[in-house]
Amino acid sequence: MLTSSNLLTWIIFLPLLFALAIFLTPTAFEKKFRTVALVQTLFGALLAIIMYFNFDGTSAQPQLAHFVPWLPDWGINYFVAIDGISLPLVMLTAFISPLAILGTWPAEGIELKKEKFFVMMLMFLQTGMYGTFLAFDLFLFYFFWEVVLIPMFFLIGIWGGKERIYATVKFFLYTMVGSLLMLVSIFYMIKTSSDFFGQPSASLVTLSHLGFSFDGSSWQTVLSSPQTWLFLSFALAFVIKVPMVPFHTWLPDAHVQAPTVGSVFLAAVLLKLGTYGLMRIAIPFFPQAANYFSEFFILMGVIGIIYGAFCALAQTDFKKLVAYSSVSHMGYIMVGLFSFHKVALAGSLYQMINHGISAGGLFMIVGFLYERLHTRNLEEFGGLSKTVPVMAIAFMIMTLSSVALPGSNGFVGEFPILLGAFQVHPMYVLFAGTGVILGAVYALKAYQMVMLGPSKRSDLDHLHDLNTKEVIAMIVLAIFVFGIGFFPKAFFWKSDATLNQYSYSLEQKVGANEH
Amino acid sequence: MNINNFFPLTSLTAAEYFNLLPLFTISFGALISLLCGTHKTKGHGLAFSCSFLFLLAALVQTSYALFMTDITLLGGTLVYSPFTKTVSMMIILFTLLGVVLTYGQDLKEGLLSEIYALMLFASAGMILMVSTNHLLFMFIALEIMSLAIYVMVAMRRGSRFSSEAGLKYFILGGLASALFLYGSSLIFGALGSFELSTLHTVLKESTTPSIIFYIGLGFVVAAMLFKVGAFPFHGWLPDVYQGAATNVTGFMGAAVKFTAFIAFAKVVQYLVFIEAILPLRWFQNFIWFSAAASMIYGNFVAISQNEIKRMLSFSTIAHTGYLLLGLYAMNLSEQSSQALVLYLFFYAIANMGAFAVISLFEEKNQKDLHLEQISGLGIKHPLLGTLLTIFLLSMAGIPLTSGFIGKYGLFSTAVMAGEIPLVILAVLTSVVSVFYYLRVIVYLFMKQGTSEMAKYQRLKGASAAAFISALATIQFGLFPKAIIQFIKMIAK
Repeated sequence: MLTSSNLLTWIIFLPLLFALAIFLTPTAFEKKFRTVALVQTLFGALLAIIMYFNFDGTSAQPQLAHFVPWLPDWGINYFVAIDGISLPLVMLTAFISPLAILGTWPAEGIELKKEKFFVMMLMFLQTGMYGTFLAFDLFLFYFFWEVVLIPMFFLIGIWGGKERIYATVKFFLYTMVGSLLMLVSIFYMIKTSSDFFGQPSASLVTLSHLGFSFDGSSWQTVLSSPQTWLFLSFALAFVIKVPMVPFHTWLPDAHVQAPTVGSVFLAAVLLKLGTYGLMRIAIPFFPQAANYFSEFFILMGVIGIIYGAFCALAQTDFKKLVAYSSVSHMGYIMVGLFSFHKVALAGSLYQMINHGISAGGLFMIVGFLYERLHTRNLEEFGGLSKTVPVMAIAFMIMTLSSVALPGSNGFVGEFPILLGAFQVHPMYVLFAGTGVILGAVYALKAYQMVMLGPSKRSDLDHLHDLNTKEVIAMIVLAIFVFGIGFFPKAFFWKSDATLNQYSYSLEQKVGANEH
Repeated sequence: MNINNFFPLTSLTAAEYFNLLPLFTISFGALISLLCGTHKTKGHGLAFSCSFLFLLAALVQTSYALFMTDITLLGGTLVYSPFTKTVSMMIILFTLLGVVLTYGQDLKEGLLSEIYALMLFASAGMILMVSTNHLLFMFIALEIMSLAIYVMVAMRRGSRFSSEAGLKYFILGGLASALFLYGSSLIFGALGSFELSTLHTVLKESTTPSIIFYIGLGFVVAAMLFKVGAFPFHGWLPDVYQGAATNVTGFMGAAVKFTAFIAFAKVVQYLVFIEAILPLRWFQNFIWFSAAASMIYGNFVAISQNEIKRMLSFSTIAHTGYLLLGLYAMNLSEQSSQALVLYLFFYAIANMGAFAVISLFEEKNQKDLHLEQISGLGIKHPLLGTLLTIFLLSMAGIPLTSGFIGKYGLFSTAVMAGEIPLVILAVLTSVVSVFYYLRVIVYLFMKQGTSEMAKYQRLKGASAAAFISALATIQFGLFPKAIIQFIKMIAK
């Protein structure tokens, strides 16, 4: 039964158990399936809370490990554990899941479309996400990383908008290209471990003792170093998922076509898989190569910030605007991660959580509006705040979080990133800083076009305000927005030890660098 | 009292007898099933149950004999080691699945009841083929197998395509067999033996075989590449796969490919992978080239196919490419042979399952299922749609399915062996393959049904085969430890 050693396994596979139960339940009960999903996600959150209190924040070691031999001949084991980097991300997943289900509850009288399969896919997706964050075995990580694709593929492809098939196939293939090259690198790493230790191992703990040769004296030696290629293939897989410019083109399509709950999961959690992968594997395992290429990634991050912001500014489709704002905000994380500065690294982790909250919230708002008015065109809204004051408040809170107003959670993420990165690469940060201004411009523009100004529609009489479920979802999100904004320490202190250790060992590995 | 007195063939020892018994059982079962099939009304059912029971008996016998001491018969011609016996067991399993798949399908397609007997004959040939180390014996086994398959391919008598496919396969297959035989005779002429292990020793000692040996080897390799359907000897494959009745296609894609590949691996291991002889590098390079070309050709041509069987047949060529990559890596590392068997086994199961589902939606004498015909099918028949999805995901090598484990094993041993460029090509082309497999899934679940939607044919056999394959695919995808350790154990 539930013990501290198999707690993580319960977190990962509880959704799958529920999915199995749903599978065996006849379709006649499909009206109840959402409730079951809500109960399941609440259980997930409960388990996550238990995990949080069992986690020892003073230690930088992986904890609550669960180890089961899986394919011992190939050095592959079911090995899950948690440390300060994955802890906040698992908590994010655990809290976003019930909120996403509450916030996208189908309205009364709406015909359900293959509800059974839909709910099963949502549960399947959670298993994949938890698994990716908790895996401490490279093979297991890859396994869950790919598993996440399948439910998302169906979520977009079956319940999406008009161009859903194009969007979902693009999403799937884009991710596959990166991840299969990553797979080749995983083979190589396991082979190296087998050469070095005498037996293959895919455990991240074991592999972290390996060093891959890197010679940065000239570009020829860089190109002939194995570490370069390992780093680049891992980085490619992860930056596609982040997404970093120029690999971001799948994102607007996928977001716009996905059903609201899919968008929420995509923005809040799935994009973080990419940055988490960079932080967990690509940077610490290949530090010299990462350092060598860091300016390139920072540059791309800055381009992403500015380009994403300008693209967002130009959109009339509300959902696309939020999607491009994701490109912009994820750019900060890239800058923070590759600056290799202690403060910025911590900021990147905070930004992952904060972006999850604000983007998830904004996509829910888009969903509320679309469900009520059946449009996402910003020019067709206007003056809604009079009719739907509660939604207007919720929207305002999410907007403020997104523009990183001091006192909101967005500030807690972006400020340390810019502060830390400035010490290392001031010029880049100068440009990245403009993203904050641009971010405020497009976010407030969206707010103004939807909520303020004269009303452009005559059918607002039956536009109803947020219902209880939606209000609850928004209140919880708002608590996190201001809670993290005012008391970041209270939320993130358990990650400190890991982050300190992380940046310390990174500095050691990169060696006598300029920072 | 000597225990041998109990057995009818007193010249055989007990161990030899037990090892040969499955072969006798299958051949005998084939004859009985031929006889049963002549019954006027119940012929098909009787032939089915007969062949099923005899195969089951053969399976039990093989597993019983599995860990008996190694036996060589006829002066080393037939070798019964745990490896060959396991491979035979897999062949019997595929034949069992094939027989189950045929049940029901035979009446729908108007296939004769002899198809069961033919399947058993084919599997007897296959078992012989994987157990022999003798080139002539291999030829005979190849012919036993192929003749049965030719007839099975052409058996869909109401369909022009089936006759065309049968004739094409017969003529080209006959050519390949002739090449094989001629090549073996040239090798014999050059080195004085048909025995692969003897040839291997001779080659290792005398590092300069005559040119005749190379010509002969070239013929043999070409014939084997034809049988496994590798580029540039793949031309027959799509037409034959498409023209044959779907159950036969499933059986071919699984069992024939499996057998031919194991035999090819044996030939290549004994005759091509000899470091000391430099000209053999040409053959190794040709295998490399054939692997790369099969992956590229198979995957890219499959993209533009709108008919499922044809698409799957091109994807088969691509999978042959991956397998050749594993074969090429065998030159460099021992472990590749295990990975190869594993991949073949998993692929065969998924392939069988996919064709089983397809046969559930085909009408009599229908050439192929068009993609338009399956649009929205997964919504109408969620269970079967899910099954087909599982098989396609397995072929695409997506986790949760056995195909991923197989692909992982194959590619990782290739990387371990140092063959990284070809692996990178393989993963990139398998992204292409993901596209066309996904396309089928998209049609199944994400498009609206049309009036042309294929009708569900109630076939017990095919449904059972699909379910069994799906269970195996998922089981081995999640818990592959047992089978991996088993294969590792027998490879020793």
